[in-house]
Amino acid sequence: MSTIIQDNQQTFSVKFLQFYKDRTLLAILLSLFAVMFVYGIFFTENYLTITNFKAIIRDAALYGIMAIGLTFVTLSGNFFLLSLKETASICGVTFAMGMATGFGSPDLAGNFLVSLLAALAVGIVSGVIQGYFVGMGGNPIVVTLGGAGILYGIGAWWSDNLVINFTRPHDAEWLGTGSFLGLPSITWSFILIAIAAEIVLRHTNFGRKVYLVGANKAAGKATGHENFSMAIIVFTICSVCCAFVAVAFVAQMDSAQSNYFSAEFGSSGDMTILVIATVMVGGNSIMGGYGSTLRTSLGAIFIAMVDNMMVLQGFNSGPRIVGVGLMIVFSIIVFGLFAKGSRAQE
Amino acid sequence: MASDPILKITGVSRTFGAINALKEANFEINEGEIMGLVGENGAGKSTLVKIISGFDPGFQGSYKINGQEVKFETPSQAEESGIAIAQQELSLIPNMSVAENIFLTGTKVKKFATLNTLSKMARPYLDEVGLSEIDPTTRINLLSVGEQHLVEVARLISREAKILILDEPTAALGEAESRRILEMVERLAANGKSIIYVSHRLDEIFKITKRITILRDGLSQGIQYTKDIDVNKLVEIMLGRELANMFPPRADHISNDSKIKIKDLWPDGVLEPVSFSAYKGEILGLSGQLGSGAGEVLASIAGALQSRSGSLIMNGENFLPKSPSQAIKKKIAYCSSDRKKDGLFLGRPIFENLTSPALNAISNYGFNFGSTEGDYSKNLASEFLIDVKRMHDESGLLSGGNQQKVALGKWLSIKPDVLLVNEPTRGVDVGAKSEIYQRMRDLAARGITIIFASTDIQEITYLPDRVITFYRGMMIDEHRLEQIKTPIILKEITDPFNETNL
Repeated sequence: MSTIIQDNQQTFSVKFLQFYKDRTLLAILLSLFAVMFVYGIFFTENYLTITNFKAIIRDAALYGIMAIGLTFVTLSGNFFLLSLKETASICGVTFAMGMATGFGSPDLAGNFLVSLLAALAVGIVSGVIQGYFVGMGGNPIVVTLGGAGILYGIGAWWSDNLVINFTRPHDAEWLGTGSFLGLPSITWSFILIAIAAEIVLRHTNFGRKVYLVGANKAAGKATGHENFSMAIIVFTICSVCCAFVAVAFVAQMDSAQSNYFSAEFGSSGDMTILVIATVMVGGNSIMGGYGSTLRTSLGAIFIAMVDNMMVLQGFNSGPRIVGVGLMIVFSIIVFGLFAKGSRAQE
Repeated sequence: MASDPILKITGVSRTFGAINALKEANFEINEGEIMGLVGENGAGKSTLVKIISGFDPGFQGSYKINGQEVKFETPSQAEESGIAIAQQELSLIPNMSVAENIFLTGTKVKKFATLNTLSKMARPYLDEVGLSEIDPTTRINLLSVGEQHLVEVARLISREAKILILDEPTAALGEAESRRILEMVERLAANGKSIIYVSHRLDEIFKITKRITILRDGLSQGIQYTKDIDVNKLVEIMLGRELANMFPPRADHISNDSKIKIKDLWPDGVLEPVSFSAYKGEILGLSGQLGSGAGEVLASIAGALQSRSGSLIMNGENFLPKSPSQAIKKKIAYCSSDRKKDGLFLGRPIFENLTSPALNAISNYGFNFGSTEGDYSKNLASEFLIDVKRMHDESGLLSGGNQQKVALGKWLSIKPDVLLVNEPTRGVDVGAKSEIYQRMRDLAARGITIIFASTDIQEITYLPDRVITFYRGMMIDEHRLEQIKTPIILKEITDPFNETNL
């Protein structure tokens, strides 16, 4: 009896080590999960409850969806979309405008579908324009920083910097605060988007092109996969994810203001930094070509877990932002070390 | 010799892993002498140069300067002993002045020195290299490439170098600029400096050297007196005869069935529009040195380089690809000379590399499930003798030869009609070379038209059915089958207009 158990343990540990060797970064992330989990169980009250875990995933969902969108940009070697929160901001304002005023035609006021499509359309347009300039050879950081200013400015101008309210009951409640089979709609969205994104990356030509172009732009061009169309598509995907999150968030708050995603959002103050942190903590290569949306999703849950634990332990927002910052630094160091050891350089 | 050599190397060996870069090589140079150093790619020239200039301390053998045994751990130690090297890639700072660049290291310069003082100090060195007319306050990036080479040498002289190594100084230069370099070399030698002149341009070697050291496969083939040998003899020593066996036999005839007509193609780096045809199932070699335009012509057929004019006629269609993806649609595949830059996705697995140009072939409606891709890439791999068990390894982990096989083999996935290869075997070991040659011949026998450009004279002599020679952006001549002869080609790609009167 005891020998059998020992054997099992041995094969298990051998398998575990093999897993570690093959997927060092993923394994590190999972180990960190385990450590945080155990720490949470023993040192934090009210941690190990189903309600709390639902809350963790729900927190992770909002920036997790945006981070999945950003993962496409990062994997394709186009660094980051730095106008994440500004895109969300203008899309949120658009959605709220639709819900509150129907864009000037009272018949449409409160029409969820029209407002949603309007918000997504704004996201698509801003994504296509920014992607076009990056695809033409613009530096992604410069282009999207410029985009950030313009998008935020238009949103603030349009809404006069006011809070746009629309009253309950409204047609968007199911997305904002509703739930299905015991899980909030936004959590379902996160799960479905994460699965879809992973399938796209692993099992479609487009997904393969994302990896190839990200790994080597010049070789991508030589094999017929140009970054021009790639940049437009990935920036659009990312912007649409931002638009969707904005709609869900605004539907939850029954209101929108252009600076919702800078000040009011989550614990970490700045949405853009939080989303980039999620992609980085997931261990995706900043230079592109290496990573997955699965990692990003795990990164989102990990950040939410740590954040949740800090909330339960009574930290206020300052130290929690420091926590997110430390996680980014840590993941970059770990990634740097293991990238050197396990992957071919040059 | 009357005097003892100033630098003498005997029995030097250097191994990198399993590769013997140098085997008991010998080298010497006298004071005030210009010594030519020649050998084909991979013969050990650059290894020897690195050892002499102190970049590579890990060798066995004896290294004497003025009869004294020396051992340099760093290049700066070699420099203190008066040995300096001017590499092909210049190490000048483009937006600083000539004078500042000459005294960049700051030795011999006072703590505070105005540009004026530096200019005065720079004058004699500039005179010595033949740049008397240049104002030392000029910024480097306003000079021509040839002048920049001269400034680089002036900098070496300012540090009291006795032995100068010039590594292919004229590789990127035109005729007039090259002449200035040669004049400078002769003037420096007359002033008592010893110069090791490394070059692929045999005409220059014959023009300025009295003695030549020839390396082949890491072995020095003895020192030859320039006056005793001619180009043919030199090439024979450089190449050796037995190496011809690694090439598969040529086709017995060239088909009359023209597969692709290239009409008035005119990319950058080519002086006049170029026209030629390639036939079904032939291997056509474009021969020329760096800067001859052969590689540029190839790249512009594939849309990787823009052409000012011209068109391709293929399968009754008249077109000019503007990008590689357009060329791929027309079944034209192009394998570039720099596989690390744009030939391979180094961080991605081998199978992804192999299927990268033909994603549509491995998917249904854009979705790629199941084992289609695995089978497809395994077929390609086994066809190109790539280890099927390593399909999931990153391609960056492969050796140079296997990387080249992947870079080339991936193009079979689009079932090309025309396969363009620039430098098919650069940085590839001998075994993989002969495998690649054999595969290219097999593909041609299957009816694929292969056009390759190469600076490797062996490859150009023994692999293709037809050769077109290029010299400094001009198309010179064409040879077929048995008429392909090394000396004729060498002559045409180095000195077609009898400028050197050999």
